[in-house]
Amino acid sequence: MNIITRRSVLATGTAAAASLALPNFAMSAIPVVDATPPKLPIENGATLRVLRPTKFVGPDEEIFRENIAKFTAQTGVAVRVDFVGWEDLRPQVGVAANTGAGPDVVVGWPDDPHLFSDKLVEVSDIAEYLGKKYGGWYNLAERYGKKWGTNNWISIPMGGSGGPCVYRKSWVKEAGFDSIPTDHAGFLTLVRNLKKIGHPSGFALGNAVGDANSFCHWLLWSHGGYLVDESNKVAINSKETIEALKYARELYPNFIDGTLSWQDPSNNKAFFAEELGMTQNGVSVYFAFKNDPSKAAQAADTDHAPMPLGVSKTRAETALILNAMVFKHSKYPNASKEFIRFMMEQEQYEKWLTGCIGYWAQPLKAYAQSAVWTSDPKIAAYRDTCGMEYWNGFKGPISQASGAATADYVNVQMFAAVASGQATPEEAVREAERRARRFYR
Amino acid sequence: MTHMSDTTPELASWDSHTRRLIMLYVPLGCFMLILLFPFYWMAITAFKPNGELLDYKTNNPFWIHSPTLDNIRKLLFDTEYPRWLVTTMGVAFGATAIALVASVLAAYAIQRLRFKGSKWVGLAIYLAYLVPPSILFIPLAQVIFSFGLFDSPMALILSYPTFLIPFCTWLLIGYFKSIPYELEECALIDGASRLQILRRITLPLAVPGLISAGIFAFTLSWNEFIYALAFISSSEKKTVPVAILTELVQGDVYQWGALMAGALLGSLPVAVFYSFFVEYYVSSLTGAVKE
Repeated sequence: MNIITRRSVLATGTAAAASLALPNFAMSAIPVVDATPPKLPIENGATLRVLRPTKFVGPDEEIFRENIAKFTAQTGVAVRVDFVGWEDLRPQVGVAANTGAGPDVVVGWPDDPHLFSDKLVEVSDIAEYLGKKYGGWYNLAERYGKKWGTNNWISIPMGGSGGPCVYRKSWVKEAGFDSIPTDHAGFLTLVRNLKKIGHPSGFALGNAVGDANSFCHWLLWSHGGYLVDESNKVAINSKETIEALKYARELYPNFIDGTLSWQDPSNNKAFFAEELGMTQNGVSVYFAFKNDPSKAAQAADTDHAPMPLGVSKTRAETALILNAMVFKHSKYPNASKEFIRFMMEQEQYEKWLTGCIGYWAQPLKAYAQSAVWTSDPKIAAYRDTCGMEYWNGFKGPISQASGAATADYVNVQMFAAVASGQATPEEAVREAERRARRFYR
Repeated sequence: MTHMSDTTPELASWDSHTRRLIMLYVPLGCFMLILLFPFYWMAITAFKPNGELLDYKTNNPFWIHSPTLDNIRKLLFDTEYPRWLVTTMGVAFGATAIALVASVLAAYAIQRLRFKGSKWVGLAIYLAYLVPPSILFIPLAQVIFSFGLFDSPMALILSYPTFLIPFCTWLLIGYFKSIPYELEECALIDGASRLQILRRITLPLAVPGLISAGIFAFTLSWNEFIYALAFISSSEKKTVPVAILTELVQGDVYQWGALMAGALLGSLPVAVFYSFFVEYYVSSLTGAVKE
């Protein structure tokens, strides 16, 4: 394998440059338990290829590369990393899984390991070691890391991206609220008032992978609805779902125009243009203001909060989990597992987490004590992202069906149909049930 | 005076300037607007600063107030765009050349040799074109891998003809049909072989058709996405449509200025290619050789 390319030379340069990033970084005193790492003798002549989604922010890639350079320096294993667009990662994972060729390690999306579990090397040894050392795994990390219904880890979650409520404090105050209400009625009043004062809210109802799924899942779960039950039977046609749909119908007329066609970047653009008083998003909206010196006042006026709980006992949200897996076709499984373990150790992981400034949140509980979460109180809402109790396809197993139903926007389109007046709640839920049954046979 | 009347088209008795305006220029204007607006939007976005792009309340969305070259600079110097462009061009030329050679032979055989079942073969080739790449890319990836071509531009050069050949073959069958068969019969009487007829008579007459097929094949190869995404994993070997998305879309933040600059620069070679051959292209679609 030719691993010395212009790109890799650039990568080395980037890694060197990245060491200049976060120059004052100091590790936090996070609670760590002594644990012995599993013995994974690295194969002779091992080289690795790693594939992961493209960066959220510059340091995401720079520090990732810097950590890779450290791994190479310590182990002699040359690692080549390729970054690929978020939407484009899954076809590449599918090709790698089906052809038995391609990267040794893929840092992919939450459902991916569950779609290709028979093609993956079990990683329970490093998962148990990391869990023991760093205070255990968050709930969502365990859900997505373990093969469903077993105690076997098929992937190592490396981070989670959450989507709480993002709002302008002064406008929410002007609308009569000091903070985001935790109940549906209060939230509806806030949405109505924001519209009245000319700073409407906006939540994606188009086929937006991140934002529309986040919002529509919140609507469903915070009313007690769910797509399938524990035995994997489609259960969306319930009175709770009908209630959620009626609530969405009340909310929608108060949104800014155009949310039915919104994609993931749409609310970022509208919030930055100060057309929007409140939305649901990752931390990118806030950092667009924070990184622009001319928008310091807007950054100061922006804050985050959990979406209202509604009837749920815990936050009715989920996260986009970054899931690292090792393919069986790799000639160097030990080197691959050692690579993932190395990247999750505090010396490497905390700096990366800090560089990601809340875009990614930790899957291991000890990292919640990292100084990054107190460095800016406004990102605190993202800290426990991986601790959510909900997942795509809740309450059923994470499977091909749950992935397909999410990818087909069954839930999103159900809410969009009612919000737009195209269907009554009863019609929309029947259609969603019919579509869900195609996947859950 | 005489000279002027020669250059000004004479109006027929039933024609008038108003009629021309309504029947010709207004529809033509609308058509031009619809066709050119996306290019205009792409061009102005490529030169707009971020502040103007994101704030339409204080900025006119259809104009640039403070043009900037930042997006072009970012694209050319902060990414490997020139390299992607070279890769894309190499892949497009290679795939087009293979597709044209194979299509000429296939179309000629189907149209002129008139063997038993030639019509069905033609239909079967066309049916192959109807299978969508999203179904084919995983089985094709297994073939590519077994040939050891995975993650190499050759994977694309050899896989693109799978959809280019059916398309070009059908286009050329239609064009060969418009060339009088009598010309070939004369050559046969004079003792020419089939290959000589193809090389010396049919192909020179079919140049507009070849150019038309070539342009289509080049454009389809240039814009192809799913195979380029699936068969190439190294960043530096990617083609423009895949690579600009990877580099310029960061989560839910789209670098619209640089993306549009990439699209604009990426569409220029195709536009130049078209402009050289536009007359041949039109004549091939309207049928150039009359019996």
